[in-house]
Amino acid sequence: MRKKFLMLLFGILLFGSFVFLIQTVSATVCAEKTLSGAWCQDVEMYEVDTEHRYSQTSCDATSYCKLGTCINNEEGTCTGNTAQKTCEQNNGFWKAGKPVDIPQCQKGCCLMGDQASFVTQTRCKMFASLYSVTVDFRTNLGNEFMCLSSITSDVKGACVFGESEEFGRTCNFVTQKECLDSEGEFHTGILCSAESLNTVCGPSDQTTCIPGKDEVYFVDTCGNIANVYDSSRRNDPTYWTSVVSVENSCGYGSSNADSKTCGNCDYFSGSTCKAYKRGQDVSPSLGDNICRNLDCKYEGKTYSHGETWCATDTKNNDLPGSQHYVLKCYNNEVTVEPCAVKRAEVCIQESVEDFTSASCRTNMWQDCTSIDNEKDCLNDEQRYCEWVKDYEWNTYPAEKDSGVCVPKYAPGFDFWNAESEAESICGLATVTCEVKYEKGLLDGWDVVANEECLPGSSGHKEWLNKMENVCSAIGDCGSSLNYIKQKGYNELNVTKV
Amino acid sequence: MIKRSDKSGQVTIFIIIAVVIVVVGLLAFFVYPRIQTETGFDSENPSVFIQNCMEKEIENNVETISLQGGSLEPEFYYMYDNSKIEYLCYTNKDYLTCVVQQPMLKQHIESEIKNSIVNSEKLCFEKLMQNYIEQGENPQIIDGMTYVKLLPNKIEVTFDKILTLAKEGSQRYENFKVVVDNNLYELVGIVNSIVEWETVYGDADTSSYMTYYPNLKVEKKKQDDGTTVYILTERDSENKFQFASRSMAWPSGYGVTNA
Repeated sequence: MRKKFLMLLFGILLFGSFVFLIQTVSATVCAEKTLSGAWCQDVEMYEVDTEHRYSQTSCDATSYCKLGTCINNEEGTCTGNTAQKTCEQNNGFWKAGKPVDIPQCQKGCCLMGDQASFVTQTRCKMFASLYSVTVDFRTNLGNEFMCLSSITSDVKGACVFGESEEFGRTCNFVTQKECLDSEGEFHTGILCSAESLNTVCGPSDQTTCIPGKDEVYFVDTCGNIANVYDSSRRNDPTYWTSVVSVENSCGYGSSNADSKTCGNCDYFSGSTCKAYKRGQDVSPSLGDNICRNLDCKYEGKTYSHGETWCATDTKNNDLPGSQHYVLKCYNNEVTVEPCAVKRAEVCIQESVEDFTSASCRTNMWQDCTSIDNEKDCLNDEQRYCEWVKDYEWNTYPAEKDSGVCVPKYAPGFDFWNAESEAESICGLATVTCEVKYEKGLLDGWDVVANEECLPGSSGHKEWLNKMENVCSAIGDCGSSLNYIKQKGYNELNVTKV
Repeated sequence: MIKRSDKSGQVTIFIIIAVVIVVVGLLAFFVYPRIQTETGFDSENPSVFIQNCMEKEIENNVETISLQGGSLEPEFYYMYDNSKIEYLCYTNKDYLTCVVQQPMLKQHIESEIKNSIVNSEKLCFEKLMQNYIEQGENPQIIDGMTYVKLLPNKIEVTFDKILTLAKEGSQRYENFKVVVDNNLYELVGIVNSIVEWETVYGDADTSSYMTYYPNLKVEKKKQDDGTTVYILTERDSENKFQFASRSMAWPSGYGVTNA
């Protein structure tokens, strides 16, 4: 009896130790730092850097890895989703909550002359000292776009300096403040080349690009900025007298890309001021600068600056290994942005008046196979699916007017892994077709149902295609070439029983 | 006959002079910059010596740091094109937004630059002292802190040291500044904005950055494990900043790992 009791006790202890061991090995731990160097991750115990804090709970439930906002008082920036330690070890100030809920993290429009930035008030003040400019912080402009659209330039004009024997009456085209600081005589909105000012500056053929501005500008003989380059007005004294706004200058509203005569470039429309390059640009009628055309040429087609479009590895369908891409044309250059692998993301594009916009979006295929009606299946706002008519899962022949919903963009998966669920996933599209035969009156057997399933029969090819299409629509299943046109290991078999 | 001989002698002399001029010109072209660097020490202006001595080293280190996500030796990184790229935001989970790994990026980069130039700072100031000693001076230096500041369009490194020379009266030089033209300050601002998007939406739209900043190219390279590598390039200078982020990763296909 005593021996039995001891054995039972030993058994309980052994079982308890085993359970403890299993728990220790497999339980997720919130590691303040992992051995690989990541901060605040839920990981297995063996990944924990034990020199830092850790506990057997989710990071959300810990104090040391609770996420909040890191405030950089020096820079006036706020960073969300930050753990306290990572913030404080670099002298940041940590606060619980999201940046939108913290008063000092509220953003506004920081106007600095002809520049603007959507930042916090602290950062705006920092800009003031950093760039030595006067700033105007406005909280009524609620987003970055409104902020950038509200930029107004400081009014500039001719700043004339008294006549000197050596240089005559000189002039600088500056803001009123700059002129007053340099003790000049300010003429609002007047150019230095104005005849009425009687300065040494006059019209010239020279042009220039100004940092931060799109347009090509005339330059007077003193090197001052004048109006937007317009070769037809080179000899027009009125065009060299007062400031003409961009809106009232030549070709306003279009890009004027590659124009020999007009320098009213617009980055959003697809041009910007650049120094003329032989072989690349059209030679300007005057000066050395031009509205450079920012459009792109790609595979024989021209795309506008800012245009984005989709591309895939394979032209027709989503084969194993294939991926979607977004191609972007900016500044004369096409960049390629891959969407997530295995079609976890797909590229969707739309066009308005020949201008294409594309983006990678999450492939919403997950509930396709559970939808049983065409209307819901084709609801693109909810999911990306396709309706296959006259088909039923695992049933053949399907009832009339039946159908199934399958992913529009077949998701990929790791079918090559021994542990993958390839068989069960692809098995969804397994169909058993029973061909019925009847004994003929005289001799032999006649097919009376489902003859199309038999290889060589009429209609077999169509049947096979349909089965194959459903198969490859639900994932990397069925018999197909991969994206580099290599055959799979398993060919589709139809066996006569 | 004699006259003819004189003429050919003159021609020979001219040829020799021409060859000598060409050789001297070539030597000056190829060797002079080095001679100038080695000996071009202006005892009145030690700051210029330090600037020349350290500028290249700072530029190289800044380039390395920028290509590696802000760290000279990344600790937690993604291998991309055989380069270690630091994760600035990361979660090992699928469907969740990332946890910021480097919230004070600007300060971190300043500290990395500072640490990366410790040796060259020592070397350059030793060279400076040596130059003074060779000129018969008795230079004394009082060490101080080194400050690195990322500023608009430049990086400013200040060595808060005091150099005194005692030969001809007492001369004192302090606050040695090295300034490197670089737009890292502006790039860091954009990186912070991208990281902010990653923490909120798990993704950032590169098009809007290229629309608002004409001189900037932003590339986004999604990787197999859900990591995204961002590459920011300034179009004129070709200055780059690369970093990695893993946020809102979707498992591939039917995969349910990490969920």
